[in-house]
Amino acid sequence: MKSNTVAVGLGILGVIFIVAAVLYIVGGILPTFTSSSAAGTHAKHAILCGVLAVASFVAANFARPKTA
Amino acid sequence: MGLLQGASELFPVSSLGHAVIVPTLLHWNFKQSDPSFVPFLVLLHIGTATALLVLYREQWVLIVRGFFAAAFRGQMRDDNERLAMLLLTGTIPAAVLGVLLENRIKDLFASPYAAAAFLVVNGVLMLGFERLRRRAERGSTRKEQEEGFAHAERISFRAAAIVGACQALAFIPGISRSGVTIGGGLVAGLRHEEAARFSFLLATPTILGAGVIEVPQLFAGGVPIGQYAAAAVLSGIAAYASARFLLRYFRSGRLDPYGWYCIAAGLVSLALLRFGL
Repeated sequence: MKSNTVAVGLGILGVIFIVAAVLYIVGGILPTFTSSSAAGTHAKHAILCGVLAVASFVAANFARPKTA
Repeated sequence: MGLLQGASELFPVSSLGHAVIVPTLLHWNFKQSDPSFVPFLVLLHIGTATALLVLYREQWVLIVRGFFAAAFRGQMRDDNERLAMLLLTGTIPAAVLGVLLENRIKDLFASPYAAAAFLVVNGVLMLGFERLRRRAERGSTRKEQEEGFAHAERISFRAAAIVGACQALAFIPGISRSGVTIGGGLVAGLRHEEAARFSFLLATPTILGAGVIEVPQLFAGGVPIGQYAAAAVLSGIAAYASARFLLRYFRSGRLDPYGWYCIAAGLVSLALLRFGL
C-alpha cells in the first residue's frame, strides 16, 4: 500500500511512540497505561515503545511512494 | 536445570513447562515463586539465544545488513532483506503481547499442575498442526512431500505476524515456543526444516530482548550469579546440540513424536503431582 497519507500517518505514529518511550524513561508517567508502578515495568514499556517507533518509521518508509 | 532448559528449549516440548514441573517432581530445593526464578530462567534463555546466534552467525550478519539496507531504502531487493523484515514483523506482536500479558502469566509460573495441563494442550496442538499439514501434502516419499512447500523467506508477512504472535503463547508454562512457531510455519506453507529455521531465527531477538530486560534483577539480593552463569553456559551448549539435531531431524521428520511425548509427559506429571509421588 503505497501512499503519502499512510506514510505520514505511520511517521506520526512513530513520533508518538518515541514521545511515549521518553515519558516512560523519565519515570512514572502515563499511569493510565500501566498495570504496575514498578520501575522495571516502565523500562519494559519504554523499550517496547522504542521498538514500535522504529517499526513505524520503517513501515512509513516502505509506504512512501518511490520515484523512479 | 541449565542442561534441561537448553535441551528442551528448542525441542517443541516447552522448556518452561519442564522447568516448572521437573524440579517439583524431583523435589529439588528450588522455589518457583522466588523473585530470582524468572530472571534465572531468562539467563538460561540467553544461553540458548547465544547458541542460536553462533549457529546462525553468518546468516544474522546478512539479516542485520539486510534490515538496515531495506529500512533506509524502503524496499526489499533480496531474500535476506525480506527475511529481516519478516523477522521484525514476527517479533513485534510477541513483544507487545509479552509486555502486556507478562504479569498475568507470571502468576501461573508457581503452578506445576497448570504447566502439566498445558503440556498436554501443547501435545494436542503439535498433532493438530501435523494433521493440517498432511492434508496439503502431495507425493509418496517424504522428499516429494516437502518439496511442495516453501523456504522461510517466502512466508507471507501476515503469516509471519501470526506466527510471531503465537510466540506469546509460550509465556504459558507447558506451551512450547518452538512448537507453536514451527507448527504455525507448517500451516503457513513452509517445509519442516525451514519452519524450524524460521522459528529459531524468530526466537533469538525475542529471547535476547526479554533477557536484557530481566537480567538486572539477578544482581539484586544475593543471587548466586556464578552458578546461574554456569547454568547458562550449559544451557547454551545443550541448545546448540539440540538445534543441530533438530535441523537434521526435520529434513524428513515430523512434530508427531513430540506431540505424543508432551501428552504422555503432561498426563504422567499430573498423576504424579496428584498422588504426591
